Amino acid sequence: MNAPERNLKLTNHRSGELAGIVRVNEEIKAIVATAFRINLMALNAIFLAKRAGNAALGFGVLSNELRRFAQDLTRHMASLRDMTSGSVGSVTGVVQQQRNSRILAEAIRLAGEVPGVREARKRGMARLSAQQVKLRALDLRLRAAVEETQQLVELGGVLARSAKIEAAYGGGFSPALMQVSTDFAEVIAQIKRSLEVLGKERLVKD
Amino acid sequence: MKQAHCIFQEDDHRWLAIARDATKPGYIIDTNEYVIVDGEEALLCDPGGIEIFPAVFSALSAECDPTKLAGLFASHQDPDIISSLALWLEFKPDLKCYTSWLWQSFLPHFGGEDTTFVPIPDPGMTIKLGSLELQAVPAHYLHSSGNFNLYDPKAKILFSGDIGAALLPPDQGGLYVEDFSRHIRHAEAFHKRWMGSDRAKRDWCERVSRLEIDMLVPQHGSIYQGADVQRFINWFAALEVGVLRG
Repeated sequence: MNAPERNLKLTNHRSGELAGIVRVNEEIKAIVATAFRINLMALNAIFLAKRAGNAALGFGVLSNELRRFAQDLTRHMASLRDMTSGSVGSVTGVVQQQRNSRILAEAIRLAGEVPGVREARKRGMARLSAQQVKLRALDLRLRAAVEETQQLVELGGVLARSAKIEAAYGGGFSPALMQVSTDFAEVIAQIKRSLEVLGKERLVKD
Repeated sequence: MKQAHCIFQEDDHRWLAIARDATKPGYIIDTNEYVIVDGEEALLCDPGGIEIFPAVFSALSAECDPTKLAGLFASHQDPDIISSLALWLEFKPDLKCYTSWLWQSFLPHFGGEDTTFVPIPDPGMTIKLGSLELQAVPAHYLHSSGNFNLYDPKAKILFSGDIGAALLPPDQGGLYVEDFSRHIRHAEAFHKRWMGSDRAKRDWCERVSRLEIDMLVPQHGSIYQGADVQRFINWFAALEVGVLRG
């Protein structure tokens, strides 16, 4: 007969999900840092547009919009982070329940069909299923929130492209404004890539 | 695989020792669990850690109906004593866990709710099991700061937790102590290091010397019986404790 302890060391099915949450959090942290960068860049762009005067009026409006975009993005990411923090609790609950069920199943295998085990198994399965439902709901909410953020970032991309066009009318300030608008486009592309990674992460394996 | 050995029986009053797990990995300390059965009720003393739950559950189920388990007695808070709590509650959610009041808010980290725990006050208390009146005997600071033994006056058995524990080599793993002088060598370093208070040790020795004890059953190592019980108490009374070496 196999030693039960060896059987208890079976791969934990949920460890991948906890690692997934860590990856999601890291991605969120990267986007928050980038959003902070956009905010600073937008402030600089506003000052630059002011210096450029009438030639950069449109650029100034867009810089203001980009600053608002950076603030909205930060708020979105904060709410995503709250969701992933909540999901750590749910995943841990499922991990615990699965571990308990697995050990109890091993005990039942060794002991045979003794009284009370059927009820214990049923209770465990009901708890596990309730926790999995909760986790799936969280996963759906997270995915919806990521999609919403992707739409917001699309708008950011449009603003960056428009800023590039406006920069062309900046007269003597045109090269400097062009540089700023190119930087905007690059960081927004970076955020897009991070959101694509986030969109692929799943808290629950299908 | 662990097996339940009946160490006392009088009608439907029994003590089972669940001991010696040859299949257990070497990095986990070996533990003894004891089941007290009286009629339709059973109490499990120091149920053990998570890793050994299947072995303990299986051994217990082989000898008695696990649904008759009314409670768990945790001598103290260590993981090898009670980290399996959540699993026992998974099997029987209404189980009561008797433990020092000191650990009432610590043990829920292993499992259970506020209704799970029956706090034992420092001076001890009576725990009813069937027709038995078991006594929770204070053994504070030996080694845990909130520590109890469990005495069955009818069977004259004292479950002593870590007191009397011995870390035995594999070739000396008998259920009962056979040669006290040879056995106690494996208990000495453990008691010197783990037992932190000389005063608590003297109090305990005096307290248990007043009890009629046929068997002293520790959570690790072999069971002391007959004259070896007093021999152990005398040895412990003379031992310098709370020292790193020497």
